[in-house]
Amino acid sequence: MKRRGRGMACMWYPIGFTVSANPSAAVVKIDEDGTATLLTGTVETGQGSLTVLAQIVAQELGIATDDVQVVSADTDATPMDTGAIASRTTYVTGNAARLAAEKAKEILFEVAAPMLGVKADQLEAKDHKIVVKGYPQRNVHIGDVASHARVVMGQPPIGSASFNPATVPLDPETGQGKPFGTYVYATQIAEVDVDDETGEVEVIRIVASHDCGTPINPMLVEGQVEGGISMGVGFALEEEILFDSQGRQINPNLTNYIIPTSLDMPEVEVDIVDNYDPTGPFGAKGVGEPTLVPTAAAIVNAIYNAVGVRITSLPATAEKVFAAIQAKRDAQPKQITA
Amino acid sequence: MDKKPTVAEKVSPLKTVQETPSVLREPVIAPLVTYPIEVVVPEVRQQTPAVGQRATRLDGHLHGLGQTRYIDDLSFPGMLYAKIKRAGVASARIKSIDTKEAEAMQGVMAVVTGKDVPCNSFGPSLKDQPVLAYERVFHAGDGVAAVAAVTEQIAAEALEKIKVDYEVLTPVLDPLESLKLETPGVHAPSANIYQSKIIKKGDIEKGFAASDHIIEGHFRTQMVEHVPLEPHATIAMWDPNGRVTIYSTLGRITLGRADVARTLGIPVSRIRIVATIVGGNFGGKNEITTEPVLALLSKKTGRPVKSVFTRPDEFIASTTRHPLIMDYKTGVTKDGKIQARKIRLVLDGGAYCSWSETTLGKACILSAGPYNIDNLYAEAYVVYTNKTMTGAMRGFGAPQVCFAYESHMDDIAALLNMDPLDIRLINVFSEGSLSPTGQTLQSVAIKESLLQAAKRFGWNGKGSADAGANLLAEENANTNMVRA
Repeated sequence: MKRRGRGMACMWYPIGFTVSANPSAAVVKIDEDGTATLLTGTVETGQGSLTVLAQIVAQELGIATDDVQVVSADTDATPMDTGAIASRTTYVTGNAARLAAEKAKEILFEVAAPMLGVKADQLEAKDHKIVVKGYPQRNVHIGDVASHARVVMGQPPIGSASFNPATVPLDPETGQGKPFGTYVYATQIAEVDVDDETGEVEVIRIVASHDCGTPINPMLVEGQVEGGISMGVGFALEEEILFDSQGRQINPNLTNYIIPTSLDMPEVEVDIVDNYDPTGPFGAKGVGEPTLVPTAAAIVNAIYNAVGVRITSLPATAEKVFAAIQAKRDAQPKQITA
Repeated sequence: MDKKPTVAEKVSPLKTVQETPSVLREPVIAPLVTYPIEVVVPEVRQQTPAVGQRATRLDGHLHGLGQTRYIDDLSFPGMLYAKIKRAGVASARIKSIDTKEAEAMQGVMAVVTGKDVPCNSFGPSLKDQPVLAYERVFHAGDGVAAVAAVTEQIAAEALEKIKVDYEVLTPVLDPLESLKLETPGVHAPSANIYQSKIIKKGDIEKGFAASDHIIEGHFRTQMVEHVPLEPHATIAMWDPNGRVTIYSTLGRITLGRADVARTLGIPVSRIRIVATIVGGNFGGKNEITTEPVLALLSKKTGRPVKSVFTRPDEFIASTTRHPLIMDYKTGVTKDGKIQARKIRLVLDGGAYCSWSETTLGKACILSAGPYNIDNLYAEAYVVYTNKTMTGAMRGFGAPQVCFAYESHMDDIAALLNMDPLDIRLINVFSEGSLSPTGQTLQSVAIKESLLQAAKRFGWNGKGSADAGANLLAEENANTNMVRA
């Protein structure tokens, strides 16, 4: 019969490289119509990072996501970037993009200050305008300022910047030091059905509560969590590269190496923990990798909760779970009624 | 006896073709698409402030319309197709490589082997990986020769014509075997343990002495592939100025350019790498694979050269996730406070270092879990084996150690008859906690995430981790009832 179980797992995960420098640089150009272009050396690998970077630049300049064009991933045209690795894009490249946008904005403020008859530090960028703080009616459209900066002042609003997380090397004897700029935290709780006659495990539901600092784009955070969980389900229950006795892979194809399909996906409920990291762009940290970190552990704990067997090696295939249930049955002394 | 077909019979298939409606013989042409001048921009992309908006992706729009141009969709005049011959043996000495027959094939434009690579080694930390294996093979997926031909089929056929003579050696496959000093070195004279890490905090012996219970756990994880939808793909175009443009699925073009420059022995200024939209990375595309080979084939032929990994290539010739062997020992008080933890991790590093240094470091630092543990000793080793190389993969060792530390945590909860949520709440980090490396942690939200997940899930508390243990008692009871 099917036995229902539930299990939880929590985790912590760092953002960026372990101690070693992993800088990003960025260039932001503001055009005469009030839109902007971001140049970045990072690569969109499907996670939506370029949209997040556009949102960060847009936020700094007080414009909308759609107003930022992102040019990426060309070593001739874009500045240096350590790349789409180590859950670092939002935090490291995002910080570089924000700082570059801030520098371009400073030029706008210098130009706008005499236009509005105030000092540059009395200005803010908001809703496509350069506004005198506290006097929203005193404003100039950001496009007019950008145009004025070029045509009249001869000072095109362009900014460039770089960012590298602050770290301290680890002591080789004790491993003590500050290897990462910041960390994220998460908990996932899985509900599973285990068939005690076949060992088959079905993941019914996963609740995922993730901290990523400020979610720059909550929809993309949810997308990452859902994708990570699908990878975690495969890691927990199905996927394994097998070798023959001579060290050659025997299942290098998707017929015999099974990955989860949409039919294997549990119901996923994503919950984003309210948090803010002062070292991240607008308080953001990252979310890419951690999304799959606790999934397998939560599922295996749920199996334990369902049928009382501890699976100590992944993947928890039906054969392995069934063998563990059998072993437990065999070990149990049979009660004989009087 | 079979009758030889007459001339008329031989002609008939041609006649059939001629009679086939012309629409079936025309090349497939995609229907004309006229793009609207006014693009509808979703409101969410037009809102300020931008941060916090559920802004849709520009590339998502293209994906939805099937208009994304991946590398396999790109084509250049005169472009050739490259294929790489894989060793198929896990450990061997290459006695000879004969490419004459392949080179003589019609449609084959160039063949390269390891001896054509100016600097035949690369890697993100240790430069122990050859671009194409030469003299030695270290795992079955090693490339030994590459062919550029006018079609993919001819390139594949040419691979069959390349004869490699191997002296097959005994492979080292078990990481625990590899760890032993007497095991022959995979990369002799280098030791099989190629990186290690230790984290020491407090005094574990004192911690264990102050514990009411000591519990051990042993865990293992498997090797898995990234399985991106889009496999590794590259187009290299060498131009008459001695500059090469490489379209690549690399997730890290800056490092990739440096590696290509080093292997080709040319300045970085002669290399342009363009990463198109990549159909999934997950860590598997964080270092170069075929880029230098394609650059050499393009240089040799004066033509653009494309290669797209097949799914088997993706499995055997790209990096995979490190299998881990993990031993945990934890001392805990009767009310659930962890006093000491000792951990040993052995990582199967496969044939080459790749991103093992990072994986080892992160696995070791994270291995104790998000818990305040004053007395900790964690040691981690990564060893060579003659298996598929392991490298960067989403989580860098973290999913493996999380499986261990969180299974172990539930075992502790079961031993103490505590709820899994409670034992975690007692031990987790809080703002300002010191990490295992002594770092003061900020913006810590582990307690919040536990409580929010529990609330959302409807975790009703005070349950034992192994409620399923009752299963057998229950079954016995049922059996007894039937018997009675």
